[in-house]
Amino acid sequence: MTIPATQAEDVGAVPQQSHWLDRIDRACERIGDSLNPILVKETRQALKSRQFVTTFSVLLFAALGWTVVGSLSLMPQIYTSPSAPRLLIGYYIVLAIPMLLVVPLAAYRSLEGEIDDGTLELLSISTLSPWQIVLGKLASAMLQMVLYYVALFPCVAYAYTLRGVDLPTTLLIMALLIAAAVMLTILSLFFAPLARSRTGRISTLLAVMLVLLLSEWGLAFLVVNLILFGNPLSTGMMFYIVTSALVFALSIGHLLLTATAAQLTPESENRSTHLRVSMLLFSTVVVGLGALAIQMFDRAAVDILLIYGIVAGVFWLICGSMIAAEREVVTPRVRRELPSSLFARCLLTWLTPGPVTGLVFAVVNVVALAMAGRIAFRYLFDQAATPAIPNPVNPLVMAFAGYAVVFLVSVRLVIGGIRINNNPRVEVGLAALIAVAVVSALVPYSLGLHFNDYREYSYSGWQISNWAWTLLEIFRGRNLEREVLVVAFTGLFAFLGCVLATPHVVLPRRTATPLRVKRERAETGT
Amino acid sequence: MSQEKFSKSDALMGGEPSAEPLQDDSLLRSAVTNRVHVAEDDCIEMRRLHRFFGETRAVDDVSFSVKRGHVFGYIGPNGAGKTTSMRILATLDLPSYGDALVDGFSVVNDPEYVRRRLGFMPDAFGTYRDVNCQEYLDFFARAYGLVGRERNARLKWVLHFTGTKGMAEKPIRGLSKGMKQRLCLGRALIHDPTVMILDEPAAGLDPRARIDLRRMIRELADRGKTVLISSHILTELAEMCDTVGIIEQGRLLATGSVEEIQHEQATHRELTIRILNDTNQAAQELQARPGVQQLIVDGQLIRFEFEGEVEDQAAIVAWLVSRGFDVAEVSSHKKSLEDVFLHVTEGLVQ
Repeated sequence: MTIPATQAEDVGAVPQQSHWLDRIDRACERIGDSLNPILVKETRQALKSRQFVTTFSVLLFAALGWTVVGSLSLMPQIYTSPSAPRLLIGYYIVLAIPMLLVVPLAAYRSLEGEIDDGTLELLSISTLSPWQIVLGKLASAMLQMVLYYVALFPCVAYAYTLRGVDLPTTLLIMALLIAAAVMLTILSLFFAPLARSRTGRISTLLAVMLVLLLSEWGLAFLVVNLILFGNPLSTGMMFYIVTSALVFALSIGHLLLTATAAQLTPESENRSTHLRVSMLLFSTVVVGLGALAIQMFDRAAVDILLIYGIVAGVFWLICGSMIAAEREVVTPRVRRELPSSLFARCLLTWLTPGPVTGLVFAVVNVVALAMAGRIAFRYLFDQAATPAIPNPVNPLVMAFAGYAVVFLVSVRLVIGGIRINNNPRVEVGLAALIAVAVVSALVPYSLGLHFNDYREYSYSGWQISNWAWTLLEIFRGRNLEREVLVVAFTGLFAFLGCVLATPHVVLPRRTATPLRVKRERAETGT
Repeated sequence: MSQEKFSKSDALMGGEPSAEPLQDDSLLRSAVTNRVHVAEDDCIEMRRLHRFFGETRAVDDVSFSVKRGHVFGYIGPNGAGKTTSMRILATLDLPSYGDALVDGFSVVNDPEYVRRRLGFMPDAFGTYRDVNCQEYLDFFARAYGLVGRERNARLKWVLHFTGTKGMAEKPIRGLSKGMKQRLCLGRALIHDPTVMILDEPAAGLDPRARIDLRRMIRELADRGKTVLISSHILTELAEMCDTVGIIEQGRLLATGSVEEIQHEQATHRELTIRILNDTNQAAQELQARPGVQQLIVDGQLIRFEFEGEVEDQAAIVAWLVSRGFDVAEVSSHKKSLEDVFLHVTEGLVQ
């Protein structure tokens, strides 16, 4: 349908010599056009919504009230002694409630409301991408945060002038609050499309509220301690913690946003590759921060590396189990976008959607991280300044990698069986992992208990599938070289068997793009 | 391979029907009866579309096509599979098997190209709180990538076309159902799509609003837009649709223009005969004649369903006269779309 010329002309017609206000207006409109449509809509909605008006008003009144009440309660010492801590704690509470509770919950409700009201379907058939929808929601939440923050900024400045809390601590508290609020909003957005049934939604809402309340409490504990007792860490350690927290937050935030967008993406499209890239980013972050820790610290680096090892191991087990539970079908749509050159196929096939490529991807990451861990510990062990490095790290890393690979292969097989007559979601992979882990640990332990007349008994080779006990024994320093080798080789053979049994799925081939689509792309320049 | 074993993956793997499914008898029958249209001027094309929810066959081998600029009426009882097939066409759901094409683009493999051409109006309004009509349309215009003057012009045109100009600043919350329907039609039109899919747009509207809607849809078709519309108000569909399809239990039972379908069903008519003397005797004798069904005596009137051509109808009248009955009046009721619908469907739901 073409727009009548007369109608088109009278809208936004530019006069020959326009007023400077018109020019500003047009410039603003151009800026508005370049903004995310969700941000524009959400901002319009938020500014009219009762929730925002009420929260903002309560924030302003609470800040004003606390300024008056807090200042009066500190009279007359306020003129002579440092009085900022008490006022700052009050301001923190006033600001933290909207930023850590109201805004993330509003973002959650906003995305959930789109699903409930059927508007998400209307958006999904527009030209907006799922990423734009998610980023728009996040941006509008962040805009609200900025408004709350700006409204309370004069109060924080007033508190600072009363002395008692230094500027770096004040800035650190504010940065912590903003970072936590953004991360909690991202987490809430991630939870919103997770459940589709009514019961699931109620459970998800309860889970979100629990996480928000715990975070509110945890951060308040940290901030109050920072205000009252100052920062006990050295500058180097503080720099490292802030840097690593920021980088981890960015990495996990990106992963959660990608996962949220993937949940909103239609089934026929590629939902996996971006997630895998994000996971790869996480691995890189772990390795990078580990290397930084080795460079910056001596003994403390061992503890940091152990923490990273546990975090990375759990991360890859969780993510790997869900990747291994992906659908086996690679849609024609996805096949069109596969890498075609030999070099790209060699390097990028791991990023192709599918359970077997996913298994390869997860296993390669687990093994690569395990090797990086071994190298890092060897490096630390060789340093003269670190004689107290625990010896069992190498077998521990090998055994953990072996168990992880065996579990992921098991998940792949279990889900393969379920898929014969069902179409399970990827989360079922995580459930399968938990089931496999529990069964493999509990069955040999229960059998051992039974054969020992329900009395305590010591570890033996029969408990090799009991990963928890085996890893604990290795950690305690027991020499289980034979068991470690068995676990490692079982993992290797299970992985090779799984991959070799399905070579056509591991290396799907690129298919041609239909001429009609090529023509359309050429016409529209997409 | 049994029918229940088909999954979305069959459609995702390419959507083209293979020989395997035809081992099922019912599928064989429908494959023969349902034509698969392939033509240059076909704007919408359903190719052996199937959608299963567990054991339920929501859409079961549906194939039809709609020519560019035509209005296609999708008729069927509740739970017949209309909304499911429309949702597949709108790229909101995936078929278990088969494919649907819009302007030659597959809804399975190229949904983004389909979406650019498609305006979808679902049976639920899908509106936002705390926004007015103009902001609502403006948001969707932005969502479809319209910017600056183009967006303003489209907004103005849509407000004018749907008659919502006077309430541009009103909040959606306070709109009547009819006005919300207009607004949703405007939302579906905002990016100037070539294909409109309207799911029960006239449901719950008052007569005037329905007339307005009918006028708007006809105008859209005159402007070259292809419209697929489902409705329960069959008299209206008969007036505005170029072609109709009757669906029940996921199966397409009849398709073609209203006249074609009526003609196909023309041998099945309702006859009313007024007999002045001994009506009951005439009714008894008529009952025994071939082609006479569901006979009812109402005073001097005898009403019955008659299966036969016009010549057979004339023969019946001649026979009654020859038997000495005083035939005062004969009327034959041509089947309306509603009658055809009732005749074709069996009132089954799943």
